[in-house]
This record gives sequence, C-alpha cells and structure tokens, in this order.
Amino acid sequence: MQNVYTVAQVNSYIRNMFTQDFMLQKVRIRGEVSNCKYHSSGHIYFTLKDAKSTISCVMFSSDRKGLPFRLSEGQQVIASGSVDVYERDGKYQLYARAIELDGIGALYEKYERLKADLAERGMFAEQYKQPIPRYVRRLGVVTAQTGAAVRDIINIASRRNPYVQIILYPAIVQGEAAVPSIINGIHAMERLQVDAVIVGRGGGSIEDLWAFNEEAVAQAVFDCSIPIISAVGHETDVTITDFVADLRAPTPSAAAELAVCDFGRLEEQMAEYAYTMQHLCRRTVQSYRSRLGQYGVRLKYLSPLNTLRMKKTQAVSLEERLQAVMEKRLQESRHRLAIYAEHMKGLSPLDKLSQGYAYVSDESGKKLSGVEQVDVGEKIRVCLKDGSLLAEVREKENGEKERRK
Amino acid sequence: MAKKKEENKPEEEQELSLEDSFAQIEEVIRRLETEDITLEESFSAYNQGMALLAKCNESIDRVEKKVLKVNEDGGLDEF
Repeated sequence: MQNVYTVAQVNSYIRNMFTQDFMLQKVRIRGEVSNCKYHSSGHIYFTLKDAKSTISCVMFSSDRKGLPFRLSEGQQVIASGSVDVYERDGKYQLYARAIELDGIGALYEKYERLKADLAERGMFAEQYKQPIPRYVRRLGVVTAQTGAAVRDIINIASRRNPYVQIILYPAIVQGEAAVPSIINGIHAMERLQVDAVIVGRGGGSIEDLWAFNEEAVAQAVFDCSIPIISAVGHETDVTITDFVADLRAPTPSAAAELAVCDFGRLEEQMAEYAYTMQHLCRRTVQSYRSRLGQYGVRLKYLSPLNTLRMKKTQAVSLEERLQAVMEKRLQESRHRLAIYAEHMKGLSPLDKLSQGYAYVSDESGKKLSGVEQVDVGEKIRVCLKDGSLLAEVREKENGEKERRK
Repeated sequence: MAKKKEENKPEEEQELSLEDSFAQIEEVIRRLETEDITLEESFSAYNQGMALLAKCNESIDRVEKKVLKVNEDGGLDEF
C-alpha cells in the first residue's frame, strides 16, 4: 500500500527540490513585463512573458535597490534571482533581486561610447559651431512630414516671420531607413543653399530617437556647410546630433524660435536705428549751432565797433573825471581867494583910516613914516578915508627923542 | 581628427547680409555718438547709415511664402 502524504508535505518536498537545484538558485530570465503591481508593502508583483509562456515574479521591497527604473507594462527586461516555491499556494515564482532593461542598456552603452569618441575627435568643439544667421530667408527643415514637429516649426516660424521660405525635406525619422533619409535631407538642403536647417523630430523612446545617435548622421551634421539647429524629442532627450549641431534646441518649436527672427522686432530695430541716427545727427547740428552762437557773441564783443563804443565811453568817463577834478580845484581856489580877501580886508589901510588914522605922504606921494623925512614948511599930503588934505608942516617934534628923554 | 567645415557660402560676401549691415549701422551710431565728430563727418556718417538702412529694407523680402517640400526628384512641390 502506497504512502499518503499531506499537501504540505508534497509542497515542502518540491520546494526542497527547487532549492537544491543550482541553476534555479541563480537564474536570469528575459521577458516582457505584464500585470505589474506595486504593492503598498513595497513588494512588486509582476509576470514575465514571452511568445510561448509566462512566469510569476515578485521583487521584495528589500531588493528594490536592484531596480533602477520604474517597472511598467510591456518593458523588455532581464530579471535575475532565484526560482522558488511558495508552499502555501503550491506555486513557484521568480524571486527577483535585480531587473535591468533589455536592449536599452546596450543602446545607452553604445551612445556613451560614441559620444566619448566624437568628443575626443573634437566634433563637439565650439570652434566648429557656425552662427545661425540673424535673418534667415530660406529655412530648411529635415523631419517627418506628418507629426507635431513639422506643424510646430511651420506655425512658430510663420508667426515670427510670414516672409520666411520654409523648405521641408520629408525625412524618415525612425527605423532602419532613418539614417540615410536624414543624411539625404541634409545634403538636399546644402544643394538648395538654404540659410539654416532644422533637423529633428518629436519625442519618443530612446529607440525611436536612435537615428539621431548614429555616427553617420552626426558626421553629416558636422560636415554640413549650412548652420544646423537640432531639435530632437523633448527637452530631456539629448542625442549625439544635438552635440554636433551648431545649435541645440530643446524642442522643434524652440528651434523655429531660434532660427527665424521676429520680423516685427526687426522692423522695430530698423526704425530705432533710423531714429537714433536722426537724433544723434540733430544733436550734433544743435551742438554746432550753439557753438556758433557763442562764437557770434564773442566776435560781436571783440568787433571794432564795440571797441570804438567802449573807447568812447571811456573818453566820456575820463572827461567827466577831469571836469570834476577841475571843478574841485576851482572851488578850492575860489575858497582860498575868499579867505585871502577877508584876510586882506583886515590888513587894508583904508579900514584903519576910517578909525581916525591917516596916511601921510610928501607932495610926490612918497610915504612918510618918520618926522625926519620932512622939513618944516614942506607940504605933505594927508589921506583920510574919504579924501586927502594938503597940509604944511609948521613944526617938528621928535617924538622918539622926547620919549627917550 | 575631425574635418573642418567648409567656409560659409562665398556669394553671401558680395551681398552684404542683414547682420553685417546692422553691425555697420551700429558702428555708424557709435561714431555719431562721439562728441568731437565734425559736422561733415556726422553728415556723411548719417548718410551712410541711412543708405545702409535703405539697403536692409530692400533686402528684406516682404512676400509671404508657401511652405515647399522636396520631392523624390529633388524638385520642390507645395507642401
């Protein structure tokens, strides 16, 4: 009679078989993610599947450091861990400890290698960057003819400058044919001698954008004699083409902004130039005019007529001063004369005569000042205040002698 | 070593580009701004500047353009 086992015993037995299997303890499984659930406990439950089969998987929160991205439906991954049995449910599953993206990892590596290589060859160097002309007349666009990128570029470009000529090269921007198509587009733009070229496409996965990470495209962008603005994907997508291009725009819209000048602003700028020049010229004329005015005033001041007028004024002033001085002198003289006259008046003999004195002279009019000058019997003239008398000396008396006695 | 890009289109050098014209106008303005410019100089600078502006105006194409598309033969069609 055969032994009868409990369910637990069977599951335990099977589990034991799994754990003893060397291969199952360290396994790497490639597959597509489905039924992915991030549990609130931090564990992640998902299923890996391929065309033929599926396997349940779990990644415990303690192993989450082995997952450098957010796991989501449809991702191609390689999960590493062990396959073990969950005894309670009698189910085996993969206990994943590390998960990496399949394929993309290799692409990233390729990208980094090419980037380093081209950087070393100097293809990203500033010195090779051509400036984007300020006024682009003909703008080449190499991108898919359907899709948002071309619409955005046309909208923005014609809004900024409705007179810009846009020439589209309808390129294939993803898949096998993308590389030669983009390169042909760049060559076509060179032949058409446009002023600048926008090369790019809208956003997508790294695989979608991959053509812009191919060396041949980078080389064509680098060799192009016309300035190239790259506009690949979104702001966060930076491709090799972006590094090689003369200017990198974060998006196709931004590329159009960078390539096409704002026509209104251009016209404003020209009007501003005209105004500034007129203003400055007027200012110069004004300044010369004011200098001229100043010279005029100075010249007038220095003119002979003015000198003459000044000399005349000077002469008049001198004359006045002269007259004043003269007048003063006369005044003084007159005054002195008056003083002298007064003085003289005091000394006048006539005055004395009126006080009982007389002036005596001999007959010839010679002044007599002493008795010895006349003899008795001689005639003398006695002058009084109001006339003179002729008198005869009768007697002489020597007064002095008398007094001396 | 990377191959150097070709020099810019030679035919653009004959016809003064808008940015060259603008640069020259800026230069004229700088000259006009100097205080000790002679009257004759200022007149000739002004005339030069205005002539440059007129040229800029001429070189600006004011005809609205249709978007063109390169076809398989390398010719251009309307988009």
